[in-house]
Amino acid sequence: MALIDLRNVTKRYQIGEQEILALNGINLVIEQGEYAAIIGPSGSGKSTLMHLLGCLDTPTTGSMHIDGVDVSRAGSNKLSEMRNQKIGFVFQSFNLLPKLNVLQNVELPMIYSGVSAKERRDRALVAIERVELQNRVKNTPLQLSGGQMQRVAIARALVNRPKIIFADEPTGNLDSKTGANILQLFRELSEQGSTIVIVTHDNKIAAQTPRRIEIADGVIVQDAKNAPALT
Amino acid sequence: MNLWLGFLVGLKEIWANKFRSFLTMSGVILGVASLLSMFSLTAGIAKGVREYMKQIGGLERVSVIGQEIPEDQQGYWEISPGRTVQDAEAIAKSAHLVSYVTPVSSLASAAVQRSGHTMRAEVSGCWPDFVPINKHIIASGRNLTHLDLETGQRVCIVGRMVVEKLWPERPNFDPLGESIRINDRPFRVVGVFDHYEREIDKRRRELGLRGASKLSSGSGKPRSSGSRGSGAFDRKNSAIIIPITTMFWEYKSANVVSKEDQGPQYKLDALTIQVADTDRFDETLDQVRTILMSTHREIEDFTFDTRQEFFDSMEQNMRNTRMSGGVIAGISLIVGGIGITNIMLASITERIREIGVRRAVGAKARDIFVQIVVESAVIGVIGGLLGLVASAGVIQILIAISPEANAPVVEFGDVLISFGSAVIIGTFSGFYPAFKASRLDPIEALRYG
Repeated sequence: MALIDLRNVTKRYQIGEQEILALNGINLVIEQGEYAAIIGPSGSGKSTLMHLLGCLDTPTTGSMHIDGVDVSRAGSNKLSEMRNQKIGFVFQSFNLLPKLNVLQNVELPMIYSGVSAKERRDRALVAIERVELQNRVKNTPLQLSGGQMQRVAIARALVNRPKIIFADEPTGNLDSKTGANILQLFRELSEQGSTIVIVTHDNKIAAQTPRRIEIADGVIVQDAKNAPALT
Repeated sequence: MNLWLGFLVGLKEIWANKFRSFLTMSGVILGVASLLSMFSLTAGIAKGVREYMKQIGGLERVSVIGQEIPEDQQGYWEISPGRTVQDAEAIAKSAHLVSYVTPVSSLASAAVQRSGHTMRAEVSGCWPDFVPINKHIIASGRNLTHLDLETGQRVCIVGRMVVEKLWPERPNFDPLGESIRINDRPFRVVGVFDHYEREIDKRRRELGLRGASKLSSGSGKPRSSGSRGSGAFDRKNSAIIIPITTMFWEYKSANVVSKEDQGPQYKLDALTIQVADTDRFDETLDQVRTILMSTHREIEDFTFDTRQEFFDSMEQNMRNTRMSGGVIAGISLIVGGIGITNIMLASITERIREIGVRRAVGAKARDIFVQIVVESAVIGVIGGLLGLVASAGVIQILIAISPEANAPVVEFGDVLISFGSAVIIGTFSGFYPAFKASRLDPIEALRYG
């Protein structure tokens, strides 16, 4: 079975009197090891799709399997567990906890999976080394640059060895050079076997991934393989 | 997430917002301080009252007192001799559950003199058992003896205050062998009672603190044992006892009313016993009643005056005082708790995004709940500890301003209760904010701010 398997997924929101159909019959399969971009203008439903894929929400109708687990109707605790064990998030605004240092931020997901203190530390240090911030371990996020913060966030996303990493506009708050570095890091991770899905509205970013899923008005309008990226 | 981690996260959060946390805690600090001060104040009062009750003979001291004769015996009540020395003798002989018994015949206000110094005092004619029953201690000299009783010796044992009044220039003098006059008859002092004082005075004196000067003989001032006054001590310190036989022979063998002798007055003013074992209190009274029914020829013209009811109502009063004080102090603690709730609510509003991040990386709703509750409980714990420190200061002030006999006493149990209340209040105060925080939608929370 595919790592991610969505069948006829719809998502409706009720905002006051108005009902919004954010997703309207999505069929999507993402295999282990893929590196894909979901692209679409704002209001297209791409954020909603990412919330579903990231187990932050459940579909109104349709079925959704992640790593073989049916999460179509999963409860809050089940979703938390999925996010903790199988999913890593990277956000546009980094979302690091400002009062914790780099090490503690990276340790955070493991706190909720009951990893022992020693193992937490060891694994966090490995992840920090992977993003090349080993000399910033004791710094707090406010002492870091944007690119460094995003790398901490990536280390945090990696640390619980998730099945898939979701990045929501990961370069949106970064200058283009730093953004390129982050994308380079994703590419390396992908080459090492991680499954990565980037959500973006930027075609240039989407063009760099092997697969490009375009969404508009709640449906997938194009799902194409890109030519091998030029770097 | 385990509790210990939650505790550390809570500590960190509190430390990161030191000033705000301290303001939040201040309600709990004051609440705990007032609760513990309140407890120690009432405990001090209770201790003062218990000391007083002990001074006046405790529960085991029972008086046989006269009572209205039952209606069906009205016609022939004269056949009962009333309370007499024979009653005491019968009790001493037959009531094995009674450890001490004494008949008492007294002069309510006798003139006591020594070379120009005069005082009025109550003089009790009694048996040697009077001393243990009334918790007297003979500091020097001896108790009355059976020989004194049999031969009607004119000997007396006097309280410390009697010495102070009759020998004002030598208040610490033990006038053994000296002679005093009681209603114009000479008596020889054979014993002096101890100086009875409150425990706190005694402690002071032993430590050489304030109040000690009163005792230095150089000052010439008598030890005023009752300046702040408890009557029990004054009365006890001015006691004079003589053999009851002497009392009868010297003062009670004639009773001249309107120039006519009414004959001897050998009825007793008091008949007091001490119960050997308070666990067998009722049994003891039954035994004494049986004996007295026989000596009183089945006329029930006596009853028992026990301290039981008095003591019970004292204890009840103390419990009530403690309870109402606790409620008042408890209210301030609850107000402190509301303060915590308020600040925690503000704090989670500030941290909605943090909560979103924690949820996104896998925190369950209950992890967030635990985190907030633990944080709030930690505020309670620290506030409680600081409150105990603050109460130490408050209690010092209370000790300085409250009557010495009732000086506040800190009991370990009360410390635990006060601290425990702070922790419980802290924990409960966190419930509502924690519930709100745990119910936040992760998506909304991540988007916030």
